[in-house]
Amino acid sequence: MKLDPVTLEVMNNRLAAIAEEMGVVLGQTGYSPNIKERRDYSCALFDGAGEMAAQAAHLPVHLGSTPLSVRAAIQRLKLGPGDVAAVNDPFAGGTHLPDVTMVAPVFIAGHRAPLGFVANRAHHADIGGMAPGSMALSSEIYQEGFRLPPVKLVAAGEPVRDVFELFFANTRVREEREGDLRAQIGALTVGRRRMLDLARTLGEPLVRAAMQDLKDYSARLMRAALSRLRPGTYRAQDFLDDDGFGNGPIPIRVAIRIRGGRAVVDFTGSAPQVRGPVNANYAITLSAVFYVMKCLGAAAVPPNEGLMRAVEVIAPAASVVNANEPAAVAGGNVETSQRLVDVLFKAMAQAAPDRIPAASSGSMSNLTVGGYDGFRHRSFSYYETIAGGAGAASGCPGASGIHTHMTNTLNTPIEALEAYYPMRVTEYRIRRGSGGKGKFDGGDGLVRELQCLVESNVSVLSERRVLAPYGLHGGGAGRPGANYVVSNGRRGRIPGKTSARLKAGDRIRIETPGGGAWGRK
Amino acid sequence: MATARRIGSRHDPIVIGVDTGGTFTDVAAVIDGELRIHKLLSTPHDPAAAVLQGVRALIGDRSAHTLTYSSTVATNALLERRGARVALFTNAGFEDLIEIGRQNRSDIYALAPARPEPLVERAMRFGVAERTLFDGQIALELSPAQRQRIARLAASSKAHSFAVCLLHSYANPRGERAIAAILERTKRPVSVSHRLLPEYREFERLSTTVVNAYVAPLMVEHLHRLERELPTRRLRIMQSDGNAIGVELARAEPVRTILSGPAAGVIGAASLARVFGVDRFITFDMGGTSTDVSLFDRRANLRSLSYPAGYAVRTPVIDIHTVGAGGGSIARIDEGGSLKVGPQSAGADPGPACYGRGQQPAVTDADLVAGRLMAANFLGGRMRLFADRAERAIGRLARAMRCGVDEAARGVLRVVNANMARAVRLITVERGFDPRHFALLAFGGAGPMHACELAAELGIGHVILPRDPGMACAYGALNAALGREYSLTVMRAAPSFAELGRLIGPLMKRAHAEMAAQGFSREQIESESWVDMRYRGQSFELKLPLTRNFLADFHRAHERAFGYAAPHAAVEVVNVRLQARAREYGHRPRPIRRAAGKPQAAARISAIADGRRRTIPVYQRDQLGAGLRLRGPLLILELSATAYVAPDFSLRVDDFGNIHLEARA
Repeated sequence: MKLDPVTLEVMNNRLAAIAEEMGVVLGQTGYSPNIKERRDYSCALFDGAGEMAAQAAHLPVHLGSTPLSVRAAIQRLKLGPGDVAAVNDPFAGGTHLPDVTMVAPVFIAGHRAPLGFVANRAHHADIGGMAPGSMALSSEIYQEGFRLPPVKLVAAGEPVRDVFELFFANTRVREEREGDLRAQIGALTVGRRRMLDLARTLGEPLVRAAMQDLKDYSARLMRAALSRLRPGTYRAQDFLDDDGFGNGPIPIRVAIRIRGGRAVVDFTGSAPQVRGPVNANYAITLSAVFYVMKCLGAAAVPPNEGLMRAVEVIAPAASVVNANEPAAVAGGNVETSQRLVDVLFKAMAQAAPDRIPAASSGSMSNLTVGGYDGFRHRSFSYYETIAGGAGAASGCPGASGIHTHMTNTLNTPIEALEAYYPMRVTEYRIRRGSGGKGKFDGGDGLVRELQCLVESNVSVLSERRVLAPYGLHGGGAGRPGANYVVSNGRRGRIPGKTSARLKAGDRIRIETPGGGAWGRK
Repeated sequence: MATARRIGSRHDPIVIGVDTGGTFTDVAAVIDGELRIHKLLSTPHDPAAAVLQGVRALIGDRSAHTLTYSSTVATNALLERRGARVALFTNAGFEDLIEIGRQNRSDIYALAPARPEPLVERAMRFGVAERTLFDGQIALELSPAQRQRIARLAASSKAHSFAVCLLHSYANPRGERAIAAILERTKRPVSVSHRLLPEYREFERLSTTVVNAYVAPLMVEHLHRLERELPTRRLRIMQSDGNAIGVELARAEPVRTILSGPAAGVIGAASLARVFGVDRFITFDMGGTSTDVSLFDRRANLRSLSYPAGYAVRTPVIDIHTVGAGGGSIARIDEGGSLKVGPQSAGADPGPACYGRGQQPAVTDADLVAGRLMAANFLGGRMRLFADRAERAIGRLARAMRCGVDEAARGVLRVVNANMARAVRLITVERGFDPRHFALLAFGGAGPMHACELAAELGIGHVILPRDPGMACAYGALNAALGREYSLTVMRAAPSFAELGRLIGPLMKRAHAEMAAQGFSREQIESESWVDMRYRGQSFELKLPLTRNFLADFHRAHERAFGYAAPHAAVEVVNVRLQARAREYGHRPRPIRRAAGKPQAAARISAIADGRRRTIPVYQRDQLGAGLRLRGPLLILELSATAYVAPDFSLRVDDFGNIHLEARA
C-alpha cells in the first residue's frame, strides 16, 4: 500500500507522539537521578522486521545504535506476546554497558507476526565493574561491568526473576536499578498499548504501510539533501587526546564521497583499537554518521532508518571506530562519538562552508563518583556529564555551557544532588574566555566543582584536555579543558582520563573546553 | 457554582470583566441584571487607557462592585523584552546558573543551538557568601560585611527591580530573608525565591524569581494606575491558573499572571458550558496563525512548568497547548513528496492568496475552495475575498500533488486538522484522557469552520459553538472566582486518611482568614483537597483528589499513566494541597427567542462535503431560534466567524443560543 501525502504526514505525527510519550513515562517513573533528573534515555518504534520507523527527539548517540540492539534481540530470541528483552553487550548489539536497551514486540491478538516493536535505552548510573558508575579507566570489557547479551527479562508477561537477581547481584545500588528497570518496562507497556490503539482505530494494514512509507520518505528527503551538496570527496582528520594509558594522540580519519544523492563515509586510516576505554564499536560510528546526516538533511526528515539508505559507512575492523572484543569501550559512546562528529563536520565544511559550525567542546566530560554513604547508610553511584562551549557558526556565536551534538542530557539540580548524595557542589559557572576568538566567538565551557563528604571513588573520562576544539575559516580554537583535585587547600591537575580515591573534604574540579570560533576577526 | 449568587435583579451591583488582547480590548459588564458587552481597539503603549475608556463606555459615571481584569502586561513585557533592569543576588560561585539553565538545547539537530538571552546581564548578578544545606542547616552565615556590601550594591546598581535566590532556601529561608530585608529599604520591588516557590530544583525556582522581578515594576505601575482611576470597589486580576487574585498578590507576584488572557478564555468557556450542563470539554481556539487547545475535565487542567518566550516559569498555568496551525498557515509539497501545512504563516499581510496580495496557498484558501467560507461575507462583509486567486493558488498545489483542485483543497484541510488533532491528543491521550468523552468547544475566527472535521478525526461526537465566541475571555474574567492554592510538604509514607485531614486543617484556617479579608463569609468558600503521591524513590508525583481510597486511587492512576502499578511498594505522600475558591456574583445568560419554524436559507453555496461537490444552504446565525434542529451539510454565518456543519452532523440550538452539533450514528 502506498500512502497519500496527507496520510503520510498524519502517521508521521502519530508514531512520533508514541515515542515521545514513552519518554515522558520513563522520565516520570525513573528512580535514579540520572533518569528522572537528567533524562539520559531514548525511545523509538520499530516495524515488524525490526527497522526503526520513528524516534523521539531524545539523545542523538542512541539514534543509529538502538536499531542494532533491537535486531540483535530479535535475531537471538524468539520474542512472543508479553516478552521483554534486554541487552547491553557492546559486542552483541549494545554500545557501552551502562546503556541497557529494552525491546518488546507488539502483537495483535491472534496474529503470528508482530506488528512492530517498541524499545527504549536508558543509561544506568551503575552496571557493576571495577569502579562505581562503570565509567572508569578500564582496559578490557570485563572490567567495565555486567554484560547482558540479549535475554528475556519478562516472558509472556511474567518477570524472569532469575535474570533480575543475576543483574542485581552484579551491579551496585539495587533499589535504583530495580526502579529504573521497572520504569523502562512500564514505558514499553505504554508504547505497546498506544501502537495497538493505533492499529485498532486505523487498521493494521495502514499502520504497517505507514512504517514502510515513512522510511521511504526519509530516504527521499535525504537523497534530495545530498544532491544539493557539491559532488566530491571531502577528507578530514582529528585526534583523541589519548587512551588514558599514555597512548596518543589517536587519529580518526574520514573520506566522505558525495555523488548522485549518495554518500560513502569511509573511516579507513583511523587508528587501530587502543588499550584504554575510548574504543567505539560500529553502532556508535553509525550513530555519529546518522546524526550528521540528519543535521545536513532538512530539519523535517523523520529520524528513521530510511535516512541511512543513501549512506554507506566503511569502518575498518579492530579499529578505534569499530572495535573488536574484548576492547574497553566505556568512553567510545560518550567521547569518541563526539570526535567522530568533529571529523565528519570538518570534512563537510568543505562541501557546505557556510552551514557547518566550528568544533564544539568535543567531550561530555563524564564524571562518576561512588562509594558508601555513611550518612544515609547506603551505597551510592552518581553520574553526570558536564556541558561545554558550542562551536560558532556563520552569523552566530556559539552558546556557552550547553550540551552539543551526541548528547542532550540535563544537569542534576544541585538541590537534588545534595539531598541524595554525600556531596556538595561548591562552584558551577561559565568558564569565561574559554571559547575561541574570531569573527564569531565560540561558546565558553563550564566549571563544576564538587566536594566529597565521604571517602569516594572518582572517575573522569574526558577529552579535549590536550588538543583544542578547532575553529573554522580562520577562527581561533576553543581552550582545552582541565581537571583538578583540590585536597588540603592545594589544587593538583589530574589527567583527562583517570580514577582516583578522594578523602572526605576533597574536591574534584572539572573545567570543560570552549567551542571553536568561526571566521577571522 | 452553588455558593455564588446569580445576578438577575436590577438592585444588584455592577460586575465587570475585562480582557486586553493584542488587537482588541473587550469589556463585559452586568448592569442592572443585563449583560452588556463592548469591544474597542487596544492601546498597547498604554494598556490602561483602553480599559478605562471601555469601562466608562459601559457604565458611564456609575461605579462597579468588582472588576476582574485579564492582563497581558506581564506577558508582553516578557515577549517583547521590555521588562526592568534586574539585579540578582545569589550564592557566590553560582551567578551563571541563570544562563546555564539545565545545560540542554531545545532542538537537538540545530547546527547552531541557541538560547534566549538571560534576563539579567552578567554585571548585574551578584554572588554573596552564604550557604544553606538541603536539610536547612546553615553552613555559611551571611556576615555583617556581606550585608553592608549588599546594601552598597543595591544602592549603586541602578537596578529597578531585585531578584533573590539562594540554594536550598525552600528548606530554610533565613539567608534570603536577610538579603530581602536589606533590598526592601530601596523601596524597589524585591522578588524572593522562597516566597514565590518554596520547592527544590534551583534553576526553575531561580528563573521564576527572575521573570517575576523582570515584569514587576511595569505591573506595579500599571496596577497603581488602574486602582486609582477605575471606578470599582474591588479590583482583581486573572492569574494563569484561571482563578482571580487580589491586587496585593498580583503586585508582589506578577509572574502568576503570565498566561492571564488565555486562562480567562478557558474559564469563560467553562462558565458558558456550565449553563448547558457540559463539564468535560476541549477548548479549540483557531485563529490566523496558531491554534490553542486545552482540556477541561470538571476543572481546568493545570501544568506546573511552562516556558513563555523560552524562560522557565514554575507556577501553575492552565495547560494550554499552542500549535502553529491557523487560517494563514501555508501549504506546500516538500521534496520527499509530503504535504506540509504550516508552521510558516502568510499572516495578515500578505495573507492567504484570497486576500488579494500574496500567491502562496494557505488554509483559508482551501476553506474557500471547499466552500467553508463565503467570499462576500468575510468579517460580516467588511472584507472581500478573491475566490479566483484562492482557486489558482490551490491549483498550483494540485499540480504538484498530481491531483484535482478539490482534492488538493481537501488534502490541505485534512493535514491542518491532523496537526490540530495531534495537539488535542497531546493534552488528552498523553495525559490519560480519551477525547471521545469530551465535547469540543470551538472559538476563534477559524475554529467553527474546522470543528466538525476535527471532531470526526478525534472520534468526538459533540461540538459546541457558543454564543458570542469572541467575548469568551472578558466573560471568563467577569465570572472568575477568587481563588488560591495552599500547599504543605509533608513527605510521609502511607499516612492514614485521618492524618491527612489533620494536616490540611491549618491550610483551611489560613484560607478562611485570607478570604475573609477579601470580604467572603465561610459559607461562600468552596474548597477541595488534593494529595501529591509517588512510589518511594521516584521524583515525580501524581496529583489526585483526596478521597478515603487515595492509595488505591494512586495505584490505579499510576497503572493508567505509566504502564504499571506496584501495589506492594511504599507510597509516599509528598504534598497536601487545598484549593479554596469563592465569588459573590456570577452571570446567568438569558434565554433567546424560540425558533418559529424552519428558517429561510440566506444563500446556497457549492461546497465539498463527504468527498463530493454539492450545493449546501447558508444561514445567518441570528435567524436560528432556540429549539431549532437542522441537518448538515450547511454553513452558518456570523460577524466574526463562519461555521461549517458536516453532512453527518445534526444541529440543535439550545435555549441560550448556543449551537450544538451532534454526530449522527
